Amino acid sequence: MSSNGQGGGIARPGFRTLTTGLLLAAAAWGLYSLDSQIQVFGFGASGPDARTFPRLALWLLAAAVALRLVLSLRAKDFPLGNPVRLGRVLTVTASSAAALWAMPQVGFFFGAAGAGIVVALMLGERRPLLLVLPLIVAAVVTFGGRHGLSIPLP
Amino acid sequence: MLVDAFLELLNLWVLVAALVGIVSGIIIGAIPGLGPTMAIALLIPVTFSMQPIPAIILLLGVYQGAIFGGSISAVLLNVPGTPSSAATAIDGFAMARRGEGGRALRFALYASVIGNIFSCLVLMALAEPLARFALDFGPAEMAMLMVFALLVIVLFGGGSKLDALIMVLVGACAGIVGLDPISGTPRFTFGSFAFENGFQLIPVLIGLFAMSEVLLQAFDREPLVGDAEVPPLKSSAVRFVELWRMRMTLFLSSLIGTFVGILPGIGSTVPAFMSYSLARSRSADPDAFGRGAPEGVAAPEAANNAVTGGALVPTLALGIPGDAVTAVILGAFMLHGLAPGPFLFRDHGLEVYAIFQALLLSSIPTVILGLLFFRVAIHVTRIQPRHLLPAITILAIFGAFSVNNSLFDVWVMLGAGVLGFLLRRANFPLPPLLIGLILAAPFEQSLRQALLTSGGGYGIFVGSPITIGLVALTVLSLAISLFFSLRKPRI
Repeated sequence: MSSNGQGGGIARPGFRTLTTGLLLAAAAWGLYSLDSQIQVFGFGASGPDARTFPRLALWLLAAAVALRLVLSLRAKDFPLGNPVRLGRVLTVTASSAAALWAMPQVGFFFGAAGAGIVVALMLGERRPLLLVLPLIVAAVVTFGGRHGLSIPLP
Repeated sequence: MLVDAFLELLNLWVLVAALVGIVSGIIIGAIPGLGPTMAIALLIPVTFSMQPIPAIILLLGVYQGAIFGGSISAVLLNVPGTPSSAATAIDGFAMARRGEGGRALRFALYASVIGNIFSCLVLMALAEPLARFALDFGPAEMAMLMVFALLVIVLFGGGSKLDALIMVLVGACAGIVGLDPISGTPRFTFGSFAFENGFQLIPVLIGLFAMSEVLLQAFDREPLVGDAEVPPLKSSAVRFVELWRMRMTLFLSSLIGTFVGILPGIGSTVPAFMSYSLARSRSADPDAFGRGAPEGVAAPEAANNAVTGGALVPTLALGIPGDAVTAVILGAFMLHGLAPGPFLFRDHGLEVYAIFQALLLSSIPTVILGLLFFRVAIHVTRIQPRHLLPAITILAIFGAFSVNNSLFDVWVMLGAGVLGFLLRRANFPLPPLLIGLILAAPFEQSLRQALLTSGGGYGIFVGSPITIGLVALTVLSLAISLFFSLRKPRI
């Protein structure tokens, strides 16, 4: 199936460096904003409070990710590849986000079908007849969800 | 109790649920890339309006069917439908190339069923006593148990230990979001009410396993299966005496699968290869392995099916999932009001035993449907991603929404999908993340409750025979891992 990547070692930074860097940035931001994001009102109780476990987990994550980043400098990475390939991923993500954003206005059927059609196009489908397939699936899911499972879809 | 539980199964909907689950599982499992985890996560919303017993039976049927389905593409196309079928492909595909594909699939099917029956019996024997024992656990015992479980995932989950540790910590950090389990203080909620419930398990699962697959395929655009020809399937049969001759292989493989399954985070791939190696080393003709030995098909199949029952032991008795699939099943149990943990058997014993019996009895329809559907499933392996993945996208959006009827969960699913894509491309393992997410809140709660009880003294974590035993197990695990790391030849 989809390759998870075999160490290419050609281009840097690759997926591993990018992902590790993002995790490190997230952990650092979490530690920086910990006090503002978690309000603790002390009533004289001793022992750990609502900040203790998050602080511990975030410090451990930052340390482990930093170690991985250092070790990755000597190891082969998984190349990011052709920008067109990343462009397809960004297009699918952006179209799904747009579908979700528009869903309260346009409804589940049009939002989900739109996202499905963009996915089909990004995966290389060009035959108009087969682009109807996501419409059919969206219609079945919408009808089944509303009337079969009584789910109040937007 | 057992008779009452059996009577619960005498219901048409239970039978329908089992059959639909097994058939769906065989077909979905045959499609490479659509493993049982994704299949169950996407099908959970379908079970919302069902009673708990048929709902869980449907999902477990999907799991059973998908594991066998995974061996179809492994044997006939050398493309494992699930990672655990990779060991099956070694000898299965060799058999298929010499025209014995049908026989290889029958060996796989019968071995799967034997592994499943064995692990179900172990599950029935061990889960309730373990849950009863765990009723005596206080917060300190639960905290130490979870430390041990998380450590096992990191040390023995396969692959890089540092990567597994990072994933556990990512899951734990994601589990922080929401209300503090002790004081109810909002944490990283950005002032939003939607964040106060935290990240729900099912949307995260759907994102990590289904949406990330869509993004990976958008990146790779690889056909699920190449243009490889399916070897001709001749009419064939497997005689009972052939299975009897490999009874020790089947027994040992089932034993390995079950007991490795009980250990959290290891999954079914490791026991499949362990069983394959053991069968080869015990064989009178080890050179036949790799060239189409039936035992080379039966051993990994018995082991990877036996993992189910084994992994369900800690999942149901302690609320600690064994792997990604049992994490999804745990989510399904919770959605149907059957919260896994020590109280499950006390409060919902009837439902749980009915589910166990159904898991055992579903071996019969699995054999029948497996034999009937494997020829159909071959055609399913030819489905192109561009036809399948748009439907998965729609189902992922629907599935995430339907958990709480909330678009916030769909955003969470999409975010988890992007994260899953990055992590999978960077070769980080996903199951430790999932288990970290599930265990973060109960671990923190137990840890803090224990410290509140002891007035902040850490002696409580070595204050009872159970905690001392768990600490000893934790230290032993570390020592074993260190021993094997030092013994590993360095290149």
